[in-house]
Order: sequence, then structure tokens, then C-alpha cells
Amino acid sequence: MEKFAKAFPSKPLPSKTAKPWALAGVVGSGNLEVLVERGGRPTDTMQCHVETSIPGYKASWLAALADFAHHYPAGGTKVTINDQGAPPVLVNLRLRQAYDHLTKGDK
Amino acid sequence: MITAKTALRRQNKAQRIERVGKLARGKFVSPDKVPEILRRIIEPGDILCLEGDNQKQADFLANQLATLENKDLRDIHLVMSCITLPAHIELFKKGMIKQVDFCYAGPQGGAVADLVKAKKFPVGAIHTYNELYARYYIDLTPRVALIAAAQADRKGNLFLAANTEETPAIVEPTAFSDGIVFAQVNEIVDKLPRIDIPADQVDLVVQAPYPMHLQALFTRDPAAITDVQVLMAMVALRGIYEKYEVQSLNHGVGFNTAAIELLLPTYGERLGLKGKICKYWMVNPLPTLIPAIESGWVESVFAVGGEVGMERYTAARSDVFFTGRDGSFHSNRAMGQLAGHYAIDMFIGASLQIDINGNSSTVSKNRITGFGGAPNMGCQPTGRRHPTKAWLKAGAEANPGPGSPPGRKLVVQMVETFQAGRVPTFVEELDATDPSIRKALHGVTPVMIYGDDVTHVVTEEGIANLAACRSIAERQAAIRAVAGYTPVGLKRKKRETEDLRARGIVQLPEDVGVRPSEASRSLLATQDIKGLVRWSNGLYDPPSQFVDW
Repeated sequence: MEKFAKAFPSKPLPSKTAKPWALAGVVGSGNLEVLVERGGRPTDTMQCHVETSIPGYKASWLAALADFAHHYPAGGTKVTINDQGAPPVLVNLRLRQAYDHLTKGDK
Repeated sequence: MITAKTALRRQNKAQRIERVGKLARGKFVSPDKVPEILRRIIEPGDILCLEGDNQKQADFLANQLATLENKDLRDIHLVMSCITLPAHIELFKKGMIKQVDFCYAGPQGGAVADLVKAKKFPVGAIHTYNELYARYYIDLTPRVALIAAAQADRKGNLFLAANTEETPAIVEPTAFSDGIVFAQVNEIVDKLPRIDIPADQVDLVVQAPYPMHLQALFTRDPAAITDVQVLMAMVALRGIYEKYEVQSLNHGVGFNTAAIELLLPTYGERLGLKGKICKYWMVNPLPTLIPAIESGWVESVFAVGGEVGMERYTAARSDVFFTGRDGSFHSNRAMGQLAGHYAIDMFIGASLQIDINGNSSTVSKNRITGFGGAPNMGCQPTGRRHPTKAWLKAGAEANPGPGSPPGRKLVVQMVETFQAGRVPTFVEELDATDPSIRKALHGVTPVMIYGDDVTHVVTEEGIANLAACRSIAERQAAIRAVAGYTPVGLKRKKRETEDLRARGIVQLPEDVGVRPSEASRSLLATQDIKGLVRWSNGLYDPPSQFVDW
């Protein structure tokens, strides 16, 4: 088990989003859950909390989150990740899915 | 001038057949006599061909050969597509082989690596399929070929059934150079459904006590396809298939391309791509292609081999598949590889390792596998002259010089950035460059697909258009940009990636209009093998290991 938190600079979220929060994935073996909520402060950072069952990959997590914050306007979001040993390739997809649900809705 | 000497090879063949003597009745021999017959027809120094590719194996004859000892059989120059059976390894352990020329070592890759380390694997070269078949006509013509067929009739005509595979490519050069063709068959019948190999090209026939080994190699269970693979499939469909209007193609054996096949009737249909893409296929009868065929996407499928369980379905869809007059499926490995080389818009496949220059390999220090057929298709055929839309469009992007062809085949590597067990797919240098491997291969690094031939790399991160890169440095940056969070990917520079993205050389999923939240298994035409059976109207008979109901 490893836990860490970090905030990343990011352009502010669009003023209107489809939902106040969105979830992607599930907490289960080989999967992960990403919760994205609006209402974080300040509005030009993306605040992240990661809890992962597999220690030793902090640098990769931080790099992936930094890229995400750079590519998408996600300032003013709180991102909570609960990882149960998901393959690394799944992390970005779940992040994108949660963000997509938040900004554009489930459909 | 015709002299006695010019007939020596024919005389030599006659002597060998004479030595078989009463062990055979005409062409037919009983299984228990096979080891002794092999001892009598094979001479030291012979080029001996064992039929066997990644699907079909002359396994009874190989097993009998392996019962012989070094005193019976020595100095053999072995030529064969695939070293896949324990019996093949036995020949090396017994010291019978003075040289081997082959293509692929699939399940015996570990054993081959061990033989290399023990200096018991005197390899000439590892080939691609058509390269080796071509050499059967030039400098590796077999003196004796041990082959496999489904049925023989009383004259020795052979029926090869769905798995014609490489049999004709072995028999022709052997039979037309006074070599001996020895066939194992599953059964001997009065009348064959069709004749694939005429009796006068066959010298000896044995009805094997067990049917030839057939590997279900192209069956991918939709249940094992992941959301990430669905995402990659969507990205490839929009960013490559749709963009270039890919009409003719080959798919590799992986789950990534299986996901594409299963998205055609759903996502592809919604994008309005039916009739515009994926009409002509050079691919084995993939069970995961059934929904697309049943939805009317596919005009034709030619195959290098059969697939276990697809016999009834392919016979019923003889409007799509190539079949004999009797309706049974037909394949041909050499001609299929040729078709995949010259006549398709795109080859798309996966790999275990890709380096920063786009070279890929499946060889590691502990597993020497080789090539098979992928490089015959995953390369630029510079002998091609006919244009298609996709070929010209890809060619224009590559900005050909005055001395280059105007078109390009799309050669796409589709990989997840990590393999199972968090092993990175992208590496600075291939394991295949290991000095001991290079030494065993006479200085050649076993590269599956060369980076210069690759036009696109697709990962879960997006697409890198290598053909549009204008320098080696740019190509490396494009590969790093889609290499995710592997050590290779972590070395990318933000500004370079942004520049490549602005120029469309690197594209993220949303850049090609893919909505990541849609990337879900529920988008597949079916989620399991049972669904494929349903799509086939009950005509697909999945092998037992895929049946859980």
C-alpha cells in the first residue's frame, strides 16, 4: 500500500460541467476507481490523492497525472484514485473517462 | 550435353526407393515401419524438410524421426518453417543436425535459446515464410520432404482440407527435383473430396495412428478483450482505417485487432464506414470476424491456413471464403503471404518489444522465436506498382523523393505500452541485439518489423505517424510521445510532443474524434465465444478449451 497527494497546475475547468462529480472504473483486483469532483481550490490546480496497492510506481503516477493536468483544463478539480493493481495502461483511460463524464455527462 | 552424370540425382532417388523394398506396398507403408524407412531414404548430408508451421504439423513423421539415433541419421541440413514440437528439439539433442534453416520457434522458443547457449543449434538463418519457401527453389531444395495431409486415395493423391498451408510450397520443389515426398495422412479413402496434391508428386504414404496436430492459433475469446483494447481499436478505426479508407488488409493474431473486428458492426456502422473500409482480407478465418461478415462488411477472405472450428461456417459462407468445389475451405500459405505482401493497403499487428527507432522483435535472451509471416506483410513492397486510395494517401504523407515509389503500404504496430506483469513494450534497445544472439545468427539482429517500414504506432496513448516524420530524431520523439509511462515514454520532452501534436504527427484519442468514455467492452458486437456461435447461426464449432457452457 502506498499513499500520496500532489497538486498540478492546470487551466480552469469550463464554468459549466454536466455533473458535480463523476466516477470511472471500480475498486477491484486489477482495476482502479477514479473520482473527479469540481469545487476544488484554487481553480488553477488539479489536486490529486492516490492510494495504490502496488508501491514503487510513484514517479509514473505523478508523470501521468502531470500530463493529464497539462492536456485537459482540469483546474479546480479534486481527483481521488483508488488503485487495486490496475495495469498501467488503464490509468489514463479511467482518468479520461471520469473527466469526460464530468464535463459532458454520461451519454 | 546429356550424359549419365546428369541423371545421377534421379538414379539416387531410385536407389533410395529401392532400399525401401518390401517395407512398402507400392506407396503405402504401415506406421511401425516408418523409422526403418526413414533410415533407408535419408542419407548423410541431405537437405531434409519437415512440414510444420505454426498451425499444422507432420507430427507423426517428426516423432518417428526422433526415435532414430545419430548412427542412423547424421549431418542433416534441416529446413522447416516452425520448430514447435519436442521431437524437433530431440533431433538437435541427438546431434543429427549439421545446419538448420527455419522461420519460427513459437512454443519451443525457450528450448531453442537453451540449444543456442549449449552451442547445439547450428543455425543458417531465421527466415520469413516466403523467404524460406523461395529458397526451397534456389539453394535449399529438399532431398526428402516429410509432409502431412488430411486424406489420401488408393493412388496416393492427397486432400489437404482446410489446412493446405505450406504443403504445396514444400512438395513442388521437392517433387520436381527428384526428391522424395513422404506424406502422413489421417485416413485413406476411395474417393477424395478434391485433389490438392497429385499422386505422381507423392512417393510414400502412411496412415498415421493419430490425426496431424492442428493448433487453434487465431481464436481470440472476446471475453478477454479489455476496455483499453477497445479504446485502441476505436482510435485505430478513426485515425487510420477511416482516414486512409483502408479496403484491403491483414490483421495479426492479437486481441487488439480482434477488438477492431468486433467493433465494425457497432462503432464502425455508426461512423458510416460500412462499404468504405475492410472489404478484402488476407487473414485466417478468424472467429471474431464472424459478426462483421454476417453484417455484410466483408467481400472476400483469403487465408494462409485454416482455423479449428471454422470448417462448417466457412463452407456455408463460400461467397466470402475460398473453397473447393466440394465447399470445403482452402488456404495457401505461400500465396497468402504473397497476397499480403503486394495486394493489401494495410498490415496491422502487435509486438512484444519496440525500440525507439520503431524496430520490433519477439526475441529475448531466453526465448528465440523468430519471424513467421508477419515481416512478409509488415514491410514496404517496393515491387508494387498498382495504386489504391490508401496507398497513394500514405505515400503522399511520406513525402517521397524523386527516386521513391509514390505510394506506401500502411504498416501499423498496435501495442499497449506495457505487457503483462508491468514489462514495458517500449525499450531503448531490443533484447534481440544481445551479442550471443547476434553471434549465433551470423551478425544479424532478429528484427521482426523494421522501423523504416512502419508507418504508424498505435498505443492506448494515441497514434504516432512515423511516415510523416522528417528525421530520425523526430521519429524517436513521436515514439516516445505515445510510449506512455514506460522509461522510454518518460524521456519525452513536452515541447517536442506538443509540436508533433500540432502538426498531426502525434494524435491523442480526442484528436481523432474518439470519446474515451465510450471505450467499453459493451461496444463489442459480442462479449464472448457463445455470442460468436450465435452470430454464426450455430455453424462455428469452437474448440473445447473455449467452451464453458
